[in-house]
Amino acid sequence: MKIKYSKSMKKFKPRGIHSTIMFAFSAVSAFIMLILGVVLYMRFSSISRQEIIQNTQKLMEETGEHLEDYLLNMRQVSDTVYYNVIKENDFSDNDNLIHQEMKLIYEANKNNLRSIAIYNNYGSLMAAEPVALQKEDPDITHQNWFTRAMDEMENMHFSTPHIQNLFSDAARRYYWVISLSRAVEFSDSGVPMSGVLLVDMDYSGISRMMQKINNQNNGQYYYLCDSTGQIIYHMKQVQISNGISSENNSEIANYRDGVYHEYFKGEHRKLLIKTISYTGWKLVGVIPYSSFTHGMFNMRYFIMVIIILMAMMLAVIHRFISDKISSPILKLNASVMEYEAGEKPEIYIGGSQEIRHLGYSIQRSYEQIDLLMKEIVMEQNERRKSELDALQSQINPHFLYNALDSIVWMVEGERNDDAVFMISELAKLFRISLSKGRTIISLQDELQHAKSYMNIQKIRYKNCFSIDFDIDSFIYSYCSVKLILQPILENAINYGINGMDDCGEITVIGRKEDGKIILSVVDNGIGIPEDEVNFILTDSDRVHKHGSGVGLVNVNNRIQILFGKDYGITIESELDEGTTVSVCIPAVPYTEENRKILEKGHIKYE
Amino acid sequence: MNSKKKFICLEAAMATIVMILLFIMVKEQMGKQSYKISVILQDSDSSQWSALRYGLKMAAKDSGTEVFFASIGNELTVDEQINIIKYEIDNGADAIIVQPVSDINTEVELKKLEKKVPVMLVESTASKDRNASILPTTEADNYAMGRSLAEEILKDYNGNIQGKKLGIITDNSSSEAITNRIRGFKDILENTDAKICWTIFGSSGKSGKSFLKNKPSVDLVIALDNASLVNAAEDSALNKLHGALVYGIGHSTEAVYYLDTGDIECLVVPDEFNIGYKSLTEVVESLEYYFYKMKDMTLYYTILRNEELFSEKNQEIIFTMSQM
Repeated sequence: MKIKYSKSMKKFKPRGIHSTIMFAFSAVSAFIMLILGVVLYMRFSSISRQEIIQNTQKLMEETGEHLEDYLLNMRQVSDTVYYNVIKENDFSDNDNLIHQEMKLIYEANKNNLRSIAIYNNYGSLMAAEPVALQKEDPDITHQNWFTRAMDEMENMHFSTPHIQNLFSDAARRYYWVISLSRAVEFSDSGVPMSGVLLVDMDYSGISRMMQKINNQNNGQYYYLCDSTGQIIYHMKQVQISNGISSENNSEIANYRDGVYHEYFKGEHRKLLIKTISYTGWKLVGVIPYSSFTHGMFNMRYFIMVIIILMAMMLAVIHRFISDKISSPILKLNASVMEYEAGEKPEIYIGGSQEIRHLGYSIQRSYEQIDLLMKEIVMEQNERRKSELDALQSQINPHFLYNALDSIVWMVEGERNDDAVFMISELAKLFRISLSKGRTIISLQDELQHAKSYMNIQKIRYKNCFSIDFDIDSFIYSYCSVKLILQPILENAINYGINGMDDCGEITVIGRKEDGKIILSVVDNGIGIPEDEVNFILTDSDRVHKHGSGVGLVNVNNRIQILFGKDYGITIESELDEGTTVSVCIPAVPYTEENRKILEKGHIKYE
Repeated sequence: MNSKKKFICLEAAMATIVMILLFIMVKEQMGKQSYKISVILQDSDSSQWSALRYGLKMAAKDSGTEVFFASIGNELTVDEQINIIKYEIDNGADAIIVQPVSDINTEVELKKLEKKVPVMLVESTASKDRNASILPTTEADNYAMGRSLAEEILKDYNGNIQGKKLGIITDNSSSEAITNRIRGFKDILENTDAKICWTIFGSSGKSGKSFLKNKPSVDLVIALDNASLVNAAEDSALNKLHGALVYGIGHSTEAVYYLDTGDIECLVVPDEFNIGYKSLTEVVESLEYYFYKMKDMTLYYTILRNEELFSEKNQEIIFTMSQM
């Protein structure tokens, strides 16, 4: 389980700042480029689609106009033949003239015409141009163009393409024509008759027009159908009738001019429809949706190439920028890591203002840490030294020798009570001195220790000084550092009182002020010269000359190690007036918990 | 892999993609490869191939390929045909559509060439036996056409052609197509009392007309190929057949013309447009798909009669024949 966890943690190892910046930039750029590419492509394809439709419409307009002109021309041919030739002449009287004029009209339009013929209402040929041999029995009256003309006499009728089945052709060929037929009235030998004027247009004329616009190879095409949807021209006409291809031409009859969408044979496509005037024929443009994208594959690739090239360029730029941004951070990190690894290089300071500031801060921090470390090491050394000194003071052999000597002297002088008192005080002194090896004891014990010490000293110095304890009783329950008063009292005796004649007075005052315990040892001794007062707490060698070895410096150090620089010893002295040595420690209630914390030295009172 | 290597790999990968895309773009710019397909027909300029050529052209247009027609005379030998095919292949033909010369060696030679480019046969197989043919062939159902022609004759005589004398003319009896047409025709007339007085092979050759002139008169002349039919119809129009009625298989406007003029009684028209269209489509498939195996295709035919010659459906057949 643990292995699995650590593996997954490795997997999700945080990225470096360089990769993160690079990744973030690249992701944002890629996203923007993708959006840009898609939008561009969509916009372009939409414009292109509109353009294709517009171009198709334009082409259809032009082709429609050409077709209309062509058909108008054919109608004009029919009109000319009818109104200028047939109506003006009698077939019996002016047969030659009719032929001549018909010939003239045919010759003028023969590129688009196959034949002009006039049949009477029985289907008999009255005149034809070009002159050709009529088939034996073409069954004219049953041909579609004839019946339509006779059924609707007032109109001209355009047929769908068909094979002309009227005349024999020496070349043994068949011609594909579109018939324009109309009912006509004419006179033959003065007898008014009705019949049908037939103008057969060469299908190739329309076919050429349509082929010209059906030259695209993108799937787009055009076809022509009549008003019922019957195909007149389709580039795949034979394929459609053979079932190879198909066309939705039957539906076209229902559409008006415009642009339509349809789904035919699994393909979406646009239909553009234009109606040819008079005939009702419909020119249909078919644009399969696939043709919209036909020329755009290249555009897709082009956009993709542009995007990738941009991505390549941006990657280089991103790398450069991320290098620029991350390089100072990485250098700073490297220098910090080297520092952490134990080497001690200069912390990197460079790059932008913020990173420089960071470098400076880190450097300062490290410098401070170094300083503090040195201080800690020094304090620890001091502490160890002080404790050693304190231990030494506990077993000061000289003091013990003097005390024991005094006891011996008392026993010999049969001052048994005094000896008992002396031994008892000595016992108290040592008990408190030992205090189970503790550094922190209650103020009560500390004061007791001071009292015992002073009692012993008083006997030793034959009561040549007096001692008074002025202590607020409630401070007994506060913490004190062990053996801080005894060296001060020792100094007071040695330097203050010693040498005076029975009038030495030492007062120990204990107060609590502003959360601090102030213990003052006041003597009325000879005092300390002012210039020496300043050295007492700093120059330990000087003090040690006359003392028991446990100087005020030691006491001051021990207090400050435990409680900080705000606490310690202050000395006020005036020559021939006396000296007051005050010990200032924080008022910490004496509990087992507080004692342990203080002994570990973790708390400092600032 | 360090960051620099990763970066170089990424740039290289993108550069590769750009190169690929540019390659595709250039390739597309150059356009889709247009296959060149050569068509080798005997008497290639004859109007009888109009519908077939139109079908080939339409298929080429639909499939975006180019089709070339080799200009060839009437009577080819195997070697000549093979040389022409080789010449076409040397000139860049990607596939060959050929009306094979009827010869015992044709199929073997064509099979050798098929290893270079796809070869599709039209109109007839190269082997005598259709089932034994090893090359793909697109043709009309020749046997069925022969049968239908005989059935039409029977219809005209209400099934009774007892004592009628028949003469058969064909251009090349050795081709599989003609053999099957004859077989189909004879299979129907087998149980009738009609008598086949003579059979002329190679009538479309230089001496075709002289054969008919010198042959004993018959009641019915059966022409089993287009050229023979047109020859017979011309003779009929010139009253050289002594009143014999002409029935036949043909696919040219001339044949239709003589049907229209009444010089031919019944015309069976193979679907030449689709033979052309489908043969080329099949060839294109095999060119586009490496593992595609071309299939034999048998197409239908139409029976034309004078009365219904200009029906809508028949007009379309004539339309394909009329294309130049």
